[in-house]
Amino acid sequence: MTVAIRFARSLFDRIRADLSRPHPFAAERIGFAYGDLVDAGTRLILMTAYEPVGDDDYIDDPMCGARIDSQAIRTAMQGVLNRRQGAFHVHMHRWPGQPFLSKTDAAEIPDIVTGLRRVGTTFANGILLLHDIECAGWVWLPGAESPVEADSVSVVGFPFHISRRVQE
Amino acid sequence: MTSDRFSRQSFLGENSQPSIEQAVIGVVGLGGGGGHIVQQSAHVGFLHYRLFDRDSADTSNLNRLVTATEADAEAETLKTELARRRILSIRSEATVDVFPCRWQDNPENLRGCDVVVGCVDGFAERRELEIACRRYLIPLIDIGMDVHIVGDEPPRMGGQVILSMPGALCMTCLGFLNEASLAREANRYGDAGPRPQVVWPNGVLASTAVGLVVDLVTDWTRSMRGPVYLMYDGNSHTVTPHPRLVYHDGSPCTHFPVHQVGRPVFTNL
Ligand SMILES: [Zn+2]
Repeated sequence: MTVAIRFARSLFDRIRADLSRPHPFAAERIGFAYGDLVDAGTRLILMTAYEPVGDDDYIDDPMCGARIDSQAIRTAMQGVLNRRQGAFHVHMHRWPGQPFLSKTDAAEIPDIVTGLRRVGTTFANGILLLHDIECAGWVWLPGAESPVEADSVSVVGFPFHISRRVQE
Repeated sequence: MTSDRFSRQSFLGENSQPSIEQAVIGVVGLGGGGGHIVQQSAHVGFLHYRLFDRDSADTSNLNRLVTATEADAEAETLKTELARRRILSIRSEATVDVFPCRWQDNPENLRGCDVVVGCVDGFAERRELEIACRRYLIPLIDIGMDVHIVGDEPPRMGGQVILSMPGALCMTCLGFLNEASLAREANRYGDAGPRPQVVWPNGVLASTAVGLVVDLVTDWTRSMRGPVYLMYDGNSHTVTPHPRLVYHDGSPCTHFPVHQVGRPVFTNL
């Protein structure tokens, strides 16, 4: 069974534009995108909304591209409760090639997702990584111990684009 | 053999064949139009299909149904089976999921498609399919043809190919669907005779639709940046951009607000 994520082009472009804004001290920006797991059988997740992390919710850490504080995570958890949808930590890398999580990303972001899952046990939560025109997603399905990489992330609109998981 | 197989379409670009092979294409309606769609899609190399049609072949289909033989009409074989057989005879590795029912009876499988081609009859069917595709963020390519007979004039044959992309102009914006035509169709229901259908316009419209699908998933022309509404004139044998799109004032679609994705709520447009 495949896992597919879809964005409307307008939402995806808004996220890209937001993450491209410079921050006073952080090297990259972070936001949370909300998505509806249409049904557990289909494993189709439709992204519906996006909220940037507020400028004041970043921690100044020169060792790391961007680190957010507990207030940012609480806001996202509240977003899950209010919207009754799962949340995805979103950031963007600028180096070329296929999107992949850095060592720091892989060490730190799953802890943030744990918080999202605590309030959104019946939803799909996870991580989205944007990259040039591509996007990759790691999804914790309801009840799952570990994430699965999304088989596809589609941006639906003009231009239409589907990012596919790279097969090992 | 595999490396030669798509050598004549390598101009589509290095990543195009993988994009074609990974896409899940849905076809609703496997008659005169849908038969051409699946046949050409198999030649192009598509590997994942979800096919919806509850009908079986009969003798009256043989003037246009490219997937059917006389034996199939005799045996009243399901059109989904005919489509599957044709695809697998061209592309044996393909995965063909068939649903010999209305798509509405199996909406989960429609939702999983990356692109849907609608070859359905009537305005109400089209509207329902467009609503579902918008809700689940699926590009819909609609094709159809009709023949109008007025008085002693020669019959007028026409048709359309529309790309309805979520977030962009819909079939109502484009003037193809409207309350008047839906009402006329509802009133006609029951006493309409068999609708005229012939093989060559089905082929023109379906070929154009397959071209749009390939362009969507590969972006080989790098020019598909807006909705498509093509008008087929079967008397002059031409396909041209529809004036409704050419002269559209650029205002966005108000019928399908882009934040309304997810489980459908049926509303009057
Ligand atoms: Zn509209």
